[in-house]
Amino acid sequence: MKAAIIITGIFFLSLPIASLGQQTQIRFVTWRPDPAWVWDQAIADFEARNPGLKVVREVGPHSSTEFHDLVTQKLRNRDPEMDVFFADVIWPAEFAAAGWALPLDRFFPAGEQEEFLKAPILADTYQGRIYGVPVFVDAGLLYYRKDLLEKHGFSPPRTWPGLVRQAKTILARERDPQLIGFSGQFKQYEGLICNMMEYILSNGSSLWNEKDLKGTLHLAKAKEAVRFVRDHIIGEVSHRGVLAYQEPESLALFTQGKAIFHRNWPYAWETANDARRSKVAGKVGMVSLPAFPGGKSVATLGGWQLGISRFSRKPEQAWQFVRFMTSEEIQKRIALFTGRAPARKKLYRDSEILKKHPQFQTQLETFVQAVPRPRTPVYVPLSNIMQRYFSSAIAVADSDIDQLARLASRDMDRVLDLLRGRTPP
Amino acid sequence: MKGHRSAFPFLFPSLLFVLVFSLYPIFESFRLSFYRLILTLPWLGQKFVGLENYGDLLTDPVALNSLMTTMIFVAVTAVSEVMLGLGMALILNESFRGRGLLRAIVLIPWAIPTVVSSQMWRFIFNDRYGLFNFLLFGEKTSLYLAPLADPQLALMAIMTADIWKTSSFAALIILAGLQIIPDELYEAASIDGATAWQKFRHITLPLVKPALLLALLFRTIDAFRVFDLVFVMTQGGPADTTNVLQFYGYKKSFAEGMIGYGSAISVGVFLFSLMLSLVYIRLIGARILERRETA
Repeated sequence: MKAAIIITGIFFLSLPIASLGQQTQIRFVTWRPDPAWVWDQAIADFEARNPGLKVVREVGPHSSTEFHDLVTQKLRNRDPEMDVFFADVIWPAEFAAAGWALPLDRFFPAGEQEEFLKAPILADTYQGRIYGVPVFVDAGLLYYRKDLLEKHGFSPPRTWPGLVRQAKTILARERDPQLIGFSGQFKQYEGLICNMMEYILSNGSSLWNEKDLKGTLHLAKAKEAVRFVRDHIIGEVSHRGVLAYQEPESLALFTQGKAIFHRNWPYAWETANDARRSKVAGKVGMVSLPAFPGGKSVATLGGWQLGISRFSRKPEQAWQFVRFMTSEEIQKRIALFTGRAPARKKLYRDSEILKKHPQFQTQLETFVQAVPRPRTPVYVPLSNIMQRYFSSAIAVADSDIDQLARLASRDMDRVLDLLRGRTPP
Repeated sequence: MKGHRSAFPFLFPSLLFVLVFSLYPIFESFRLSFYRLILTLPWLGQKFVGLENYGDLLTDPVALNSLMTTMIFVAVTAVSEVMLGLGMALILNESFRGRGLLRAIVLIPWAIPTVVSSQMWRFIFNDRYGLFNFLLFGEKTSLYLAPLADPQLALMAIMTADIWKTSSFAALIILAGLQIIPDELYEAASIDGATAWQKFRHITLPLVKPALLLALLFRTIDAFRVFDLVFVMTQGGPADTTNVLQFYGYKKSFAEGMIGYGSAISVGVFLFSLMLSLVYIRLIGARILERRETA
C-alpha cells in the first residue's frame, strides 16, 4: 500500500518534468493588438508547425510608456523567463546600450535586413549591430474630412498656416458648436514628442544636435514652431481638451465627425472608414502632414519590433518564433486584417494587400521618408524633459516659451553630457 | 530578564520580516542615493558621488515644483478628508434604521482599488462626455471644461478623486474614537441644559481629538506617497502640474533608469514622511497623556 502511494506520488511529481522535456516554452511579453484573433491565429500556427515549442504570452499595457516600464523591469532583473518582447521603435538603442537586448546579426544578416524598409531597420540598429526585427511601421499622417473640404472648395493643405486658415474658414461657415478644426495628441506623454517633432522638424529645426550633443529647442526656428502650436493649433482651431488626448480620444473625436483635420498613425484609416465604428466612413481623406512655408513635410517614424532578451536561456527557439512572426506570410496577414503597415518592402506590391488597402501605396512614400526620433541610450530622460517643456509651453496661453525652451535645452545638455568622453564599448 | 529572553524566538519571525522587507530596502535606497548609477549607460559604472544627488535635488526646479505640488495635495486632501470624515462619523454614530447598511455603503469608495477608481474619475472628468460637465452645464456643450487638460484644474480634479476615495477611511478611524466616548457624559450635559453645539464643542471634540489626529497622521503620510491617481489620470501633465514627488521618483528610477537620483528622491520622501509622523506622534502622545492625567 505504502509503496503504491509512493509510486503514484513519484508518477505525479514527475509529470511536469516529463512535459517540460517534450515542450520548450517561449515566453512572449506583448500587448494585445487589435483585432486579437489575428495574433492568436499566428501563434497557434507557429505552435502547430513547430511541435515541441509552446508560446506563453504575457500581456502588458497598451501604452508604450507603461509597457516600457514592464519590459525594462524584467530586463533589469535579468529575468530569464522572458524570451521575446515587443519593442517600440525608440527602445532598441537603450536596450542595446544597457546590454539587455540580444544582438541578432547571426540570425538576421544584412542581406535579409534589406527586405525590410530602411527606416525601421536603422532604428533597430545600434553601433553597427541589429537588435530587433520590425513587425509593422507607423508614420504620422494627416486625415481630413473630404466632404467638408470639397464643400468649401479647398484642397488638402500643404502648410500648417494653410491648415489653420482652412479650418477657421470652415468653422466660421459651418457654425457647428460641436465641430473643431484639428485633433491631435497633446497630452504630456510620448505621443506629444511625435506630434511636436513634426512641427519643429518641418520648420527646419531639430530636437537636439546628435553630433554636438547639444539641445536645440531654444533656437528660433524650434521656438517658432512651438509658439505656432500654442497660438494657432491649440488656441484657434482646436480646443483645450486635446491637451489630455492620446490616440484613441483624438481619433474618437474625428470618427464622431467632430473634427475637420486629424493627425494619427496609419491604423486610423481602417477605423475611420469602418461604418460600424465611424460616422465619417467614406468621407475621409489622407495626405502627408503639412510643413511650414519653406520647410519639408516630416512624419515621425513609429512602429513595433520583436526583440530577444539577452537573459533568455533559449535564444535559438526564440529566434524561430521571431522569424515566424516577422515572416512574409504573417506580416501579410497582419496587414490584411489589422490595417497595420507591413515592414517588408515586397508587401507594398502585393496585389491582395493593395486591393484591400489601396492606401498603403500612397503611404509608402511617407514610410520611406519617415524620420525616426534620434537614437540614444538616454532617450527616455530626454523625452521626459521635452514632454515637460512642450506641455508647459502649449497648455498655458501666455507661457514664457523663451525661458522654458532655454531651461529645456540646458537640462537636455546635462543629460547629453553623460554620453561624452568614453565611447561606449 | 529570563522572560525577555524566551520572548525572542517568538519575535524572531516578525523581526526578520521587518528587517528584510522594511529596513533592507530603506538602507539600500540610502546607499544607492550616494551613487551615480544609470542603468542604460552601464559603462559609466556605479560611481560614489557623495551628496551630489542631494545637491542636484535641492537645485532641481522640477523636483522643487513637484514638492510644492505634493505639499498642496497633502494639505488639501488630508484636511478635507478628516473634516468630511468627522461629519460622516458623526452621522454614522447616531442610531437610526439602516445604519449598518449605510456604514457598509460609506466604505465602498475606499474598498475600490485606486487604479479602478482613478480610471472612473478620468471618465467623469472627460471633456466631451464626462458626468462632471453634464452636471455642471447640461446641454450647453460649448461651456464644457477639460479639467484634466487644464493646468489650473488638473490637480484639483485629482484631489477630488482622492477625497472621494479616502474620506471614508478617515470616517472609520474617527467613528472608532466616537464610540469610546461614554454616554453618561452626554446625559450629564443634557441635565445641565447644554445645547447640541455645546455638547459637540466641549465633549465630543476634545475626546475625539486623538482619533482625529490619528486619522490626520494616516492621511498625511498616505497622501505624501500619492502615485496611482496621477499615474492613471494625468501621467504628471498638463504642463507638469500634477507631477507629484513619488511619480517623479518613479519616472527617474524606473523609466529613465537613473537609480541614484531616483533613490535620492525616495529618501527625500521618506525623510519628509518621517518628520511629519514624528510631529504627529508627539501631538497624539501628548493628547493621550493629558487624558490619562485628567481621568
